[in-house]
Parts: sequence; structure tokens; C-alpha cells
Amino acid sequence: MRFRAFAGAGLITAVLGCTDGNGGDAAASAGAAANRTRVADTTAIASGSGAEWTQVAGDDANTRYSPLDEINTANAAQLTLAWSFSTGVNRGQEAAPLVIDGTMYVVTPYPNILYALDLTQPGAPTRWTYRPEPLAAAQGVACCDVVNRGPAYADGRIFYNTLDAHTVAVDAATGREIWRTRLGDINRGETMTMAPLVVKGKVLVGVSGGEFGVRGWLTALDAASGAIAWRAYHTGPDADVLIGDRFKPFYAMDQGTDLGVTSWPPDMWRTGGGGVWGFISYDPDLDLIYYGTANPGPWNPDLRPGDNKWTAGIFARDPDDGAAVWFYQTSPHDLYDHDGINESILVDLPWQGRDRKLLLHPGRNGYMYVIDRATGEVLAADAFGFVNSARGVDLRTGRLIPEPSKAPVTGRVVRMICPAAPGMKDWQPAAWSPRLRLLFVPHQNLCMDHEALEANYISGTPYLGADAKYYGGPGGWRGRFGAWDPVAREWAWTIEENFPVWSGALVTAGDVAFYGTMEGWFKAVDAASGRELWRFKTGSGIIGQPVTYRGPDGKQYVAILSGVGGWSGAIVSADLDPRDSTAGAGFASAMRDLPQHTTKGGTLYVFALP
Amino acid sequence: MTRFVLALQWSGRHSALDPAGPQAARIDSLWQFLWIVSAVVLAAVVAALLYASLHRRRHAEPEQAGAGTRTVVIGAVGLTVVILLVFLGLNFGTGRALTIPPDGAVQVRITGKQWWWEVTYPGNPPSYQVTTANELHVPVGEPVVVELGSSDVIHSFWPPDLVGKRDLIPGETASIWFQADRAGEYRAQCAEYCGHQHAKMALLIVAESRDSFDRWLARQRDSARTPADSLARRGQEVFLASSCVMCHTIRGTPAGSRIGPDLTHLASRRTIAAGTLPNTRGHLAGWILDPQRIKPGSRMPANPLAAGDLEALLAYLETLQ
Amino acid sequence: MTALLAASAACERETRRFHDEAQPPAAGGVRLTALEPGPATSSRALRHPYEDNAWAVSEGKRLYSQFNCAGCHAHGGGGMGPPLMDALWRYGAEPENVFASIAGGRPNGMPAFGTKVGATQIWQLAAYVRSMSGLVPKDVAPGRTDHMQVKAGEQAAPEAVPRNAAPEPPAP
Repeated sequence: MRFRAFAGAGLITAVLGCTDGNGGDAAASAGAAANRTRVADTTAIASGSGAEWTQVAGDDANTRYSPLDEINTANAAQLTLAWSFSTGVNRGQEAAPLVIDGTMYVVTPYPNILYALDLTQPGAPTRWTYRPEPLAAAQGVACCDVVNRGPAYADGRIFYNTLDAHTVAVDAATGREIWRTRLGDINRGETMTMAPLVVKGKVLVGVSGGEFGVRGWLTALDAASGAIAWRAYHTGPDADVLIGDRFKPFYAMDQGTDLGVTSWPPDMWRTGGGGVWGFISYDPDLDLIYYGTANPGPWNPDLRPGDNKWTAGIFARDPDDGAAVWFYQTSPHDLYDHDGINESILVDLPWQGRDRKLLLHPGRNGYMYVIDRATGEVLAADAFGFVNSARGVDLRTGRLIPEPSKAPVTGRVVRMICPAAPGMKDWQPAAWSPRLRLLFVPHQNLCMDHEALEANYISGTPYLGADAKYYGGPGGWRGRFGAWDPVAREWAWTIEENFPVWSGALVTAGDVAFYGTMEGWFKAVDAASGRELWRFKTGSGIIGQPVTYRGPDGKQYVAILSGVGGWSGAIVSADLDPRDSTAGAGFASAMRDLPQHTTKGGTLYVFALP
Repeated sequence: MTRFVLALQWSGRHSALDPAGPQAARIDSLWQFLWIVSAVVLAAVVAALLYASLHRRRHAEPEQAGAGTRTVVIGAVGLTVVILLVFLGLNFGTGRALTIPPDGAVQVRITGKQWWWEVTYPGNPPSYQVTTANELHVPVGEPVVVELGSSDVIHSFWPPDLVGKRDLIPGETASIWFQADRAGEYRAQCAEYCGHQHAKMALLIVAESRDSFDRWLARQRDSARTPADSLARRGQEVFLASSCVMCHTIRGTPAGSRIGPDLTHLASRRTIAAGTLPNTRGHLAGWILDPQRIKPGSRMPANPLAAGDLEALLAYLETLQ
Repeated sequence: MTALLAASAACERETRRFHDEAQPPAAGGVRLTALEPGPATSSRALRHPYEDNAWAVSEGKRLYSQFNCAGCHAHGGGGMGPPLMDALWRYGAEPENVFASIAGGRPNGMPAFGTKVGATQIWQLAAYVRSMSGLVPKDVAPGRTDHMQVKAGEQAAPEAVPRNAAPEPPAP
């Protein structure tokens, strides 16, 4: 346990949103108006008010850190329920609510209803409700429950994705639909679940569907009109991937011409996966966005010899035209569905004697990457849990070194692969405290038995080629919440949980970290020590993203959506039958006791000090 | 002489007695040696038997085994043991020679399926990979290493003109190597009973010059193009809108299933249904309409297409060169 | 005589009907509810053409994996799609209901396979789907899987009496 509050705080420059006061770049003329507004919003956070929560991750750097400190380690034990709100949808609630100008915006899983709640009134009555009515059939091509990870806000508009692969813009004041753009086709297995990020007047959105053989992409929409500004594919020729002169990957393995074609068997890049369903971060100084690409399809790696670019890696791109600047592949020729979609948290830290602009990426493959975000150089990659599927990351070549005895072989059962397909950490976003210089990482401890099988691409049906069953890893616990010290490259503290910690994390200037468990406990812990300060049992398991804001009454509130589901909770939300240990792609067998601990739900809980 | 007698019956493209490469020649010479030695032994035994029966004693007399008898018995046993040891040594030597492949061989992967063969040439870069079915092309005079696997039950790969048998076992990888010294067409056959249509699970092996092998490989790398001809274009629509798309791949189209053979270059192949029929328009039509009449139990279901649709589909399949 | 009859039944169980051209259930014959106006009519019963045939059920099992059914429904436990080994049938448990679900699809995500898969294969699939909850005779249900053992063989599946199924299962 190391308490380092305020230690060297003056040296730390947390990247908290735009510091670029001249954000209204003439080049981005189309979205100039939107741009200025958004800059004003994030500056508000950067200046330390923390009154609003305008984007799912709190800021462009994806820190999920709030400068509010009314709730602190001394008084968190007195937190009480202020009010609650039923979303009316009993599927996995993975979204973060947004709070802007006295209104809270909550988006539900399919059917993706958007509620605007009036925080100025007692009990926060509904201001308006928007129902996009996505196609019901989209539920059949959503791999891991029908979740939605939240909306985005800019310029008086709420943007979010619907399950049937549309992006919508809704007037934040009235709930009127301003535009709706169709970006994908459910008959090809394309769905959308991620939370958009709005950068310089562009709404950045990505596609899900790595289990259906989609050809993954990231698309920028004009925030004003909904027109597609650019689209970058993650497989195929360089021109489609928006790889040009500016592309300078750090490692030789990512350099070459048309690797998105040549690193695949012929034509398989057309159905190669590599979607985007995690979070995007943005560094206004370097003017780059960072995001991860999803797993290649199909799961069976024997069917796709080659490195399978540009799946399972991290891209840095220019938000104006989408031009790729660097790429680093966390899992070349991914063997186990170890996507690269996990969030990249942008921090500035002294590293081996000099200040560096870094990117922290708690990888699904079990390695905690510390990457120079200007160049894509990996400075450290340490296992943050039990890994036996790989021997480490070669920092000279950048390559993950797979363990041959755990490599899948078609038709053979390989046992005890750790981490399992959901990885050491899945989508559940981590939080960074610039005060403590600790990364708060919700994650899981699962291993699996796996048999690679033939896979048949039939559009609109799953394209997997594997049977798997997951179970708890060594230690007898399936989830953990911990604080990782990226400089010391080790855990400062950890809290073991019975079930995977599938909720996001939040940390505040009061040095309180929040997370939820799949049993339904919402917990506050001392961010410096991991000591539990407070817990509250919500109606259903928690897989959402906690947020905090200052209400119109001046008090600090903490909000979380409760409602079990997602990949891990589908055994409850979709009534899976664990007598078949491959149910839920293998997850149900690891969660067979979850139905005894929680039931379906869909309720927003908001807490405050009395 | 022996070769002549047996070759009368076994001539053609499927004969272990007409070796077309060094491996098959080694097996053949081993077989010849075993055959000749066995024939001599048989002749000697028969001669001894005849001699004994012609010189049998008239009256049953109490008999003592004389020194001569003991010598004969010990001699016969000793000779037998020596012959068997020689056989064992030769077998062992032949087996070793067949097992260890030389460097720089052509690599191919064959996957056995009920009841056909998937043939894959790995590529470097991977986008040069070639996948075809029931037809293995090899360059003459070069060693070829075949990696063998199965996706359902145990099969066995047996090209008697080129080399011996090797089993294909689900979840395991075996390998065998051979070299074809004469250009020509050879036939391999599944040699492990694998279900209803085991007998009609043949693989055509085409040994050709390096140049024409390279040309063939390069052609097989291409994706199928959307045909220019309107009938064939309609045929493509029929293909994509009917049950074909559930099982077959045609690269360059959305069809990407691996249950049946990859049809991207169907028209370049000499046979259909794993060597069952020559690849002609008529046979193809009959096969598509009712495979169960031709190869009962085949995984391909009957496809009762309308006459116009069938016509268009055939026109399309013929463009897949 | 009994022995002979039993033996001939066993032969029937194993017959491989390669040349069948099965027909889809008659339109209008597929009921989704037990509720009807007036006195209850005895519903039923379209005989499933394959439920007494082990070979057809095993073909259904093969197609279930090859046509990616397992990608959504796993090996009966469900995933993106609902479980098939339990007693709950949203759209009816009778063979013709299962046929209709596969062929025509269902609005919440089940694709309509009928345009690409013939009636014979759909009946085989329907027989296999019903075998997962013990609704076909034990002697025709597959006994094991040739791949990773992820659950007991269908033969060992306890008969799950359909709930919420329509129409009501016929009285014995």
C-alpha cells in the first residue's frame, strides 16, 4: 500500500480535455460551431468545476476522473440513495448517463430509448423520451447481449448508436430527432453498441460484429448533418484503411504495403472482423484519436494464417481526415478472441527520467501496455494477472510471444488457456487518478477449454469456428478490482470479487473510487488503499459505468445503472441454460451460480451525501 | 514376368506396381524382393512336401528322430529367422527413407471430409494461399510434403503410383512426402473406411512441369469475377439466392461456406464429386439437380431448380475458370 | 413374432432416406396458441417425418453446427439466441412450430432459413432441436458428440415438458 496523494502533483499534467484554446480550426469549417461549444464544455471540466459529465469517459483522455471532492474518504460511508429511475428495459445496462445543464441523459439497451431527466425538479421527472425504434431483428446479430455503451454530447445535441447500425442526433432540449444515418446492414451482421466520441465537429462511431464476419470500420460523421465525412476500414487495401504518407508504425511488423490484404488468406479480409466497440480517446495537443480494433473473424485462427492486419490492435489517427498515424498490434494473428478494443487512457508521466506523453492500455490479452502515444513505441507490457497463453511481449519487435502448447488446433481440445476469450479485461473501462497516479482496473480471472472448429461464412449468421467453456482461474475468484501503478509496474492494491467485475470504474478528487459487482453491490473504496468505504445493494447486477456530477442544488451526486447482462451476465438477462457449458460462447459455464445472486433489472440509482 | 501378369489387371492410373516416383519405386522394389523370396520359399516348401509324400514309408514303424532330421529342422528354422530379419531390416530402411522429407519441398495441406478432399497450398504472404478440391497439382521431379488432417472422421490418403498410405486423423496432423518423376495424372483414394461414400472419395493428382504448375497456381489465386455475360450474371444471382450459398465458397462473392468444396475455379477442374464424374456440363447439371442418385448419402442435397435457373447457373459455373 | 416386429422397428430406425423429398407443413396448420374461440378443438397432429429415424436426427445435428445454429444457440444452452434444451418454447414446441421457426424466422432475430435450406433438411434440423429437450424417442437421439464434451448426449436429455407451448401437447 502506497499513499501518494499530492506527491509530485505539480509535475503531473493530466490530459483533461482540450487545452487548445484555438480549437475552432479553420480547416474543420463544417463543424466549427459545434467545435467551439464542445471545447467550452470540456474546458469547464478541465478548469475543475466537474459540474457536468458530458461524455461517457468524463473527458477526451478517457480518465473517468472527476475533480469533485465533496464526497471523500471521510464521508463516503454516509452516502444514501437520492432517487432512482426505472429504464423499463431488463437487459444489460452498460451505458454511462450524461449530465449537461441540469438534465441527465440515459440510453437503454435495445430498443435504445433515450430519456432526458430533469435534475432541477425533485425526483428528476422525465423531460422527454426519444424512441428510435431499431429493427427488432438486430437482436439476433448482437453478439453479447443487446447493450449500448452510452451517448455523446456536443453543440446542444445528443448522439448515439442504435443496435441496428444507425447513428442518431437528437436535440438535447426537445428530444426531436435531427438526423439519422444508416451505417451498416444487419443482414451482414453489422450492429453498433459503442459510445460515440465527438471531436472537432465529427461524430466518431464504429461497428460491432467480429463474431459475424463483418469488415470492421470507424466512421466520422459530420455532427451538423450526419453525412459521412470519412470511413476507415480495418482490413483491406491501404486506401480503404486510410493509410498514407503520414503512417509511421513503430515496429517492423506493422510496416509494409497493403498488409490488410497480404496478411490474410485471399479475400478473407472481406469478412475479417476488426470492428470498433470500445472507447475512443483524443489528445488535442497531438491532434490524434486513439482506439482499439476488435478480434479477427473467424475465431478459429487456423483458418486465417497471417497477422490479420489491422485487427486486434491500437490505431492513432488524425480526426480531420482519418489518416492513420501509427498502429500497434497487441495480438498479431489473434488466437483467442483477444480484441484490442480496450480503452486507451492518455496520461502524461515522467518515464525513466523524462516527461512523456503516454497511453495506458490494459489489454484483453492480459498485458498492461504503456505506450508512447506520439510514436506507438511500447515502453512496458506487464501481465496484470495470470497469463499462460503467452510468454510475454518482446519489446524489441513489439510482438506478443504466444505459448505454443496453448495454441488452438482445429479439432483438438486445448485445456486451461488463461486468460479466456473475454480476456483479463474486457470492455469495462478503467479510471485514472492524476492525484494518485494510479489506474483503477476492473477485470476478471477466467480460463477456458477451447476447441477450434471449421467455420462457415454465411452472412447474417455467426462466424465463430470454436467451442469453448470458461471457468474461474487460479485463486478461486473470478473478478478483481485493483489499482495499478504504471511507474512501479505492479498492483498498489487489489480487491478480489466472486464474479467478474464487469462495471466501469470512476475515481474522484476526493480519492474515492467507485465500481459495481455482478451481484448488484455498488461500492466506494479508498482509492489510495483499497479499503471499502461504503456499499449499496442495487436491484440487479451492475455492469454499467458510474459517473459523478454536481447537481443544480450544488451537491455532488454519483449515478450508476443497475441491470445485469452483457456477455458475462447473459445467463441471467437471456436465461441461458448452463447445462450446456458452451452457452453464451462459453461464458455461461463460468457464471452458472449467478442466477442465484441476481435477477434481471434496469434501474438508474443516484446517490448523494445526506 | 510378375510385373507383366499383375500389371495386366492393375494397369491404369491407380497402381502400386507402376511406380512414378522414387518413393513408390522403393516400395515396389521392396515388394518385388519380398515377393520373389516368398515365391522361392513357397516353391521349396512345396517341393519338400511333394518329395516327402512320394517317399513315404510303406509301413508304420516306430521311429527315432535321427541326426539328419534335427539338422533339417534347425536349418529350416534358422533360415526362416534370417529371412524374416532381412525382411524386417529392409522394411525398416524403406520406412525411414519414406518418412524424412528433404528440404525445400512443395508444401500442401490436405483435409479429408466426407467424402472429398480439400487441398490447400499455403502462401507467403498468406494472400497467396490457394484452396481447391479433389485435385492436387505437383511439379514433376520435386519433393512434395503433404500435411494431412481431417475435419470429421479418420480417412487415409493413398496414391499408390507415388507413395504408400497415411491416415488423416481429426485433431492431429500427419505428413507424407512423395515425388512424381513422370508427368501425368495419377489417382489417390481414401483407404480407410469413412462412411457411405468411402469408395467415391478419389483425388486426382496432376504432375506437370514447374512452369505449368506455377501458371496453374497463379491462376488459382485469382478471385472469381462478376461475369460479363447476362445469363451467367443471372446464374450468379441464382447461386447466391439459393441453397448453394449455404455450403460453398466462391471467392469474390459473399459465398464463404466451407461445408462443400471451394468452387472459385470449379471449371478448371477435371472431375466433380471427388473423382466420381468428369466435369462436363451434363454431369454437372445432373449432379446439381439430384446428387443422391449419383452418390447416395452425399452431403449435397437435391436442388430442384427451375430449368431457366439451372441453365443460368451452369453458364455461371462454366465461367469459374 | 414380437422379436421380429421389434427387429423390423429397429431397422426402420436406422434407414437412411437419401431420396426423400419432404414437404413443408401445410400453410395454416401451424398454431401458436392453445386459445381459440368456441369449444376447444382437438388439434394435431402432423406427424414429424423424421422423429423415428436416428440417421435423420444425426444429420440434423451435423447441419445444426454447419449452418451456424450453434453460433447463436450454442449446443442447446443458448447465447445470442434462446436456449433450446429447456422447457420454454416462445413459438411452440410441436414439430411444425419448430419447422416454421427455422423456415420463416422469428421477429426478434431468428433468420428465415427457408429461402436457402430445403424442407428435408429443415425437418432434420427440427428433429434434432427437439431431441435436445428429450422430445424425440430416446433410441433415435444422438448419444454423444465427437467433439469437446460440453453436455450430456441428447439421448440422456430428460424430457422437458414444453411450457408456454402451443398447442398443448396431446394427451397420452
